[in-house]
Amino acid sequence: MNVKSLIRRNYKKQPEVDFPDYKSSIFRAPKNKKISFPSSDSEILGPIFDENVIGELDNNLTLNFSKNKNSPLGHKIIVYGNVLDQFSKPIEGALIEIWQANSAGKYLHNNDKNTAPIDPNFAGCGRCLTTSSGYYEFLTIQPGPYPYPNRGIEWRPMHIHFSIFGKSFGQRLITQMYFEGDPLIQDCPMVNSIADEKAKKSLIGALDTSRSNTQNLLAYKFNIVLRGIKQTYFENRREGL
Amino acid sequence: MTTSKENLDETPFQTAGPFLHIGCMPNAIKIKKLYKNDLGEIPFKSKNESELITIEGSVFDGNGVALDDVMLETWQCDEKGEFKEESGFARFIPNNLTKKFILKTVKPGSFKGFDGKIHSPYISLSISSRGLNMTLNTRIYFEGDELKNDPLLSIINNCNVNSLIAKKISKHSYLFDIFLQGEEETIFLDI
Repeated sequence: MNVKSLIRRNYKKQPEVDFPDYKSSIFRAPKNKKISFPSSDSEILGPIFDENVIGELDNNLTLNFSKNKNSPLGHKIIVYGNVLDQFSKPIEGALIEIWQANSAGKYLHNNDKNTAPIDPNFAGCGRCLTTSSGYYEFLTIQPGPYPYPNRGIEWRPMHIHFSIFGKSFGQRLITQMYFEGDPLIQDCPMVNSIADEKAKKSLIGALDTSRSNTQNLLAYKFNIVLRGIKQTYFENRREGL
Repeated sequence: MTTSKENLDETPFQTAGPFLHIGCMPNAIKIKKLYKNDLGEIPFKSKNESELITIEGSVFDGNGVALDDVMLETWQCDEKGEFKEESGFARFIPNNLTKKFILKTVKPGSFKGFDGKIHSPYISLSISSRGLNMTLNTRIYFEGDELKNDPLLSIINNCNVNSLIAKKISKHSYLFDIFLQGEEETIFLDI
């Protein structure tokens, strides 16, 4: 028999959900301890998305909403990396969806009350599937930082939201990538909801100078690690033998 | 028996924030012509209306306010208890006027798991939103089903176990409210 189980999540390297410095968590974070239990089929398996859900320009945010091929404002960046599992094995066919503010720090969303302008050529959403080596790449615009109400007015560091589906529903991950050198990172309560320094740093996309210097745009590398799945083999044995 | 040791840490979660619709369901907020369809609009494409059940409910915060900026995702097997990677996934948000979500799907079957045990019918549910630094996970079981031998339910020793069981309203419809906090706090799972 072949028994699969997800590696238990290490909550010491994850954000605290009940973290009052992030005001919105106060009335939303559950107070009770989560129930742990052995992985079952619904956690090990998961939805898989195939090529035909992805459009040609889905990973090019500089063109996927542009009118008459006009460029959005701001400077172009490449964000790339690999999706791996905890055993360093690349995950092929992982679906990555991203969303972000425009270069002025404004989201194309009715609930965004920031007074910065929207950009008619920029929606701020993209998606792609990883290749056989787990590789992904987006061409986009550097998102701006923006003010938001928290403990008074605070500023979000520049960031891109990432949603990832691996091969298992238990691998599902939603996170944010920050940008190397951004001074706003250190005081961000959402970043600081993660206590572990190394875990925090793993969310910062690294400026790739060699690629930036050859492609006329800045490149940032952001690798993503999803939970590993352990396989344990037992010899098939009939009861009582 | 073989196992090997992992060498990388899982990437930490961060909140999906208030604008998650842009990336996950742009059509739902009228960003049209970008993606043909939002993912997970219909969990089982080949089924017709008469084969589906309806699950509706709201997500309440600690003030008892029904939220409309949360995203829910469900994943389930079909009526025969088979998981198929190309179907069974749904993604939806509460209506911004009624604050209720409605999921139309197939009632899942019970199944014999990798563990050799029989699992009662259930739907896996995840919730992401502003104010949640990590996605929350729970399950929807169904009132009226055989539940006492389910491998998960049978290990839960908590008076709120009923928070995992959708109430039967009529033959094909169920109510499943989610409470993020308070006396009725829903049981969330470390999946």
